Amino acid sequence: MRKPEFIYVSYIETTPEKLWEALTSSEFTKRYWWGTSVVSDWKVGSPFKLVMNGTTTDDGEVLEVDPPRRLSYSFHHVLNERAKQEQPSRVTFVLEPHGKLVKLTLTHEGFAPDSVVLDGISQGWPAILSSLKSLLESGTALAIPLSCMAG
Amino acid sequence: MSKPEFVYTTYIETTPEQLWHALTSGDFTERYWFGHRVASDWEIGSPYKFAKQGKTTIGGKVLAFEPPKRLSYSWDNLSPDLKHERSSRVTFDLEPRGKVVKLTVTHDNLDEGGKTFRDISGGWPMVIASLKSLLETGRPLPSGISANTAQEHTNA
Repeated sequence: MRKPEFIYVSYIETTPEKLWEALTSSEFTKRYWWGTSVVSDWKVGSPFKLVMNGTTTDDGEVLEVDPPRRLSYSFHHVLNERAKQEQPSRVTFVLEPHGKLVKLTLTHEGFAPDSVVLDGISQGWPAILSSLKSLLESGTALAIPLSCMAG
Repeated sequence: MSKPEFVYTTYIETTPEQLWHALTSGDFTERYWFGHRVASDWEIGSPYKFAKQGKTTIGGKVLAFEPPKRLSYSWDNLSPDLKHERSSRVTFDLEPRGKVVKLTVTHDNLDEGGKTFRDISGGWPMVIASLKSLLETGRPLPSGISANTAQEHTNA
């Protein structure tokens, strides 16, 4: 049986340093992540949270910080009744320079079978990372309607 | 046990018509698909092929052609080490989402543990990333990629 995990790879014309900032700066994430701020002091063991319009949607703990190469945090959804009962999962970003590009590999793993969080993030990450690529390459994030993410 | 398939979704600031053109025009694919030109008359059942510098690398038949929503073709890699693998299938689904198009690439009917599966899993993210860059910025991704990465996409 296939492991319940989500992996997404993209190639972005940027530098590892800029991409690192885009993943860890709340001012930056707000621009491409439907207004979501990523909040942490990015020390291993420190809390991490995602805040959208003043409401925390997900929280966790910083697991690995190796700028500008590798970032990992635990991920626990806190809004949806069913999703918040699930065990925390784990998000890892790996940044690898390829000439003038950066290969970004996102791995989101550690889900229980039949996880509703896995369904949600499988819809969300491609949109978020597509918008991130657009912002870094063209200076403008994508206007993907959030309503399109449901179902 | 389910057959292995590879699914990749991205969102591109373009129109379904422009994206359709980018997927079916040889002049266009040559720019973002690292030199690979697609050619077909795009009738259902007709042959199509990808060729780089005149050498055919991928071939197959057109399975679905519903502009600007769905394109599907069979996928035979013609390189000697992959000829023995079964014919697989590629499907592109284009869905408008506001001012953006959601593109889903599904590559299925793959051999369990086959080399094609490994190659295309590495290749599609690179090809689609370059396609997105070309449509949004007017430039495909730069060719300054490592030989190893270039090899991956050649086979996808």
